[in-house]
Amino acid sequence: MLDWNLATDSISIRVIENIMEGLTQFDQDLNPVPAVAKGWKVSDDGRTYIFDLRETVYWSDGKRVTAQDFEYGWKRLLDPATASQYAYFLYDVDNASEYNSGQLKDPSLLGVKALNDTTLQVRLRRPVVYFPSITAFTATFPLRKDIVERYGDRWTEPGNIVTNGPFTLREWRHEYSLTLAANKDYFGGRPRLDAVRFYVIGESTTALTLYETGGLDIVSLPPLAIPSYKNHREYVQHPLLRGYYYGFNVEKPPFNDNRVRQAFSMAIDRKAFPEILKGGELPATSWIPEGMPAYNPSVGLRFNPDGARALLKEAGYAGGAGFPAVTAVFSTNPENLLIAQNLQAQWKKNLNINVMLDNQEWKVFLKTLQNNTPPVFRLGWGADYPDPDNFMNLFTSNSGNNRTHWKNREYDRLVEAAVVEQDMDGRKKLYDRAQIILTEEDVPIMPLFQNVQNLMVKPYVKGFRPNAMDIIHLKDVWIE
Amino acid sequence: MLKFILKRLLWGIPVLWAVATITFIIMHIVPGGPFDEEKQLPPEIMANIEQKYYLDRPLSEQYILYLWNLLKGDLGPSYKYPGRTVSDIITDTFPASIELGLLAFILSLLIGVGAGIISAISREQNTWVDKTSMMLAIGGVSIPHFVLATLLILILSHTFRVFPPALWEGWQYAILPALSLAAAPAAYMARVMRASFMSILKEDYLRTCYAKGLPVRSILFKHALKNAITPIVTFSGPLLAGLITGSFVIEYIFSIPGMGKYFVTAVINRDYPLIMGVTIVYAVMIVLANLIVDILYSLLDPRVRQR
Repeated sequence: MLDWNLATDSISIRVIENIMEGLTQFDQDLNPVPAVAKGWKVSDDGRTYIFDLRETVYWSDGKRVTAQDFEYGWKRLLDPATASQYAYFLYDVDNASEYNSGQLKDPSLLGVKALNDTTLQVRLRRPVVYFPSITAFTATFPLRKDIVERYGDRWTEPGNIVTNGPFTLREWRHEYSLTLAANKDYFGGRPRLDAVRFYVIGESTTALTLYETGGLDIVSLPPLAIPSYKNHREYVQHPLLRGYYYGFNVEKPPFNDNRVRQAFSMAIDRKAFPEILKGGELPATSWIPEGMPAYNPSVGLRFNPDGARALLKEAGYAGGAGFPAVTAVFSTNPENLLIAQNLQAQWKKNLNINVMLDNQEWKVFLKTLQNNTPPVFRLGWGADYPDPDNFMNLFTSNSGNNRTHWKNREYDRLVEAAVVEQDMDGRKKLYDRAQIILTEEDVPIMPLFQNVQNLMVKPYVKGFRPNAMDIIHLKDVWIE
Repeated sequence: MLKFILKRLLWGIPVLWAVATITFIIMHIVPGGPFDEEKQLPPEIMANIEQKYYLDRPLSEQYILYLWNLLKGDLGPSYKYPGRTVSDIITDTFPASIELGLLAFILSLLIGVGAGIISAISREQNTWVDKTSMMLAIGGVSIPHFVLATLLILILSHTFRVFPPALWEGWQYAILPALSLAAAPAAYMARVMRASFMSILKEDYLRTCYAKGLPVRSILFKHALKNAITPIVTFSGPLLAGLITGSFVIEYIFSIPGMGKYFVTAVINRDYPLIMGVTIVYAVMIVLANLIVDILYSLLDPRVRQR
């Protein structure tokens, strides 16, 4: 699915990131740096952004990339008829959610406007400090109105599609392979690779066999294979902005008592997880992941079995006696099962509580979360954009992704205030306090660990440096 | 004959209708929808999507709409692969499954029928040939195809580099998956063929052939084979339909861009139109394969024609 207004899967996004560029893009440390925009200005109230576009960026058919292409792309993303799942990325733009929900019919009232060919003006409904990170995301990339209208649903096929990035789409065998070719007219200079081929391989051990027999140069390792390849010189590992947590339904006894939730979190020794999964997972007690600003590993409840037992006693369940039968629910997959069994054993050992386990098929599990949230459940979250807000706003009172039924006005206020706070130190203070409420005081969730990407990369592949958003800029890669 | 074929094809219509209806009902009973993801979509976005795909209409209306579009030959859009229709997906992936399935089918016929005949004939003088081929047959039936596939990859690709371990770029890529698919049906056919051939060899009419002094080759392949092969024909119809619509496991292991994987992934993704599409294609193939089997019967056995 290469329509960047509609693509949501990681494979499509990885390809789009290499054939297209937006206003900004992330550097190695995930700071948004100029791409098609050569710079931007922010008004004093933080609500208006003026993006100044390069004049030297061309589409692969030779036409210049203009501010109008961005305006069109954004309006199409927000058009209810497009039915884009990622329309919410631009909900901070003036009138965007009103237009996307159909309350407002006139797209000219949207806060995005091309002032001329090289100037794009964006008005926001509130001053969002991380907005230049949003414009690095594929869904916000420019689009050619004439191409989309001429080819309809088929506009992304090779031959129809036009792009502005370091590579162009040469061949696409749906659900099988994609071939990209170097774009000699790329404004940043022709990339060093002549062509790149992606294979869509469902079974990761098949991919690994192809890697070993010379069919692939880069491959992600299946979890089971990690121990055997860990000491291999071609093994590469990097942390991802992805957190793994267990949540509590705070409305269901006994988890309506925050002492019980604290006890459950304190009874877990998180060092166990990398030992079980063997993928170099980073144990975590705080929620904002490493690699993001405001990351603070000192936040969160440490492993403290005595303290946990004391809290449980205070809550009326001394030595686990009288604790009602509870079931922890997770979606079926080998990694989740290993973690769940370990948690079950630790709760038994440290709190003398028997927790039953129930695994469900993924979509069934999601329905269960929605309709009848279990007392304890497993979920994860991967960053949409590398700002703490993306992790912290999950658990605000009106977030659709907050399955815990937990509502805390102070938490909401802190997270809201951090979005508009311009000063990074000030933001960090707000997030520290919010994280303490989330993971130490109220504990609607217990973070467990941060995921890691495990790869094998051939030694002749140079310049391959994926960042924590798992974005790979192939324009920087060469073969020696 | 033409009247017979037409009648059978007409009978296929209610069969397909029943398959479509039952699949439609079952897939909507299963909890979870196509757009339920880890990242819960905001309600206004969910509303846009449901409107686009008519998922906001009552189920009865969706059902009628689906059947109406089906009559027009429109299998609908895929939810998981936006911008692609179910027909696009089937047109793109069916050929690879057909190629692989046909190759596996031919292999299993050659190996199965061949081994069955050789076993049956050599049983008298040459017991070790019979014993070896029947032992292989037991192995073929009892080893699951994914185990065999993994073994073949390990030995013939990883260690000896004779064939590529996966992908779909030319004829040599089809050998390992075809062998993996063919092993079990070949083994089954070998056993059936052996039993059937042996019982035919005892028939009086064959003794007559021998007595008349017909050449052995003509006796075996003209007179005996024609009667002995009937059980294989019966088995071949559904086998062919199954093989050419693709195997999820084999396509997955060898990363083949075939249709088989959608029988599973479409259900996991709750991609309703795609589930319906591949199920209907499979049903059509079964109906056609059974029809072909019946036609073959009548060609092999004149008595069927008279009935």
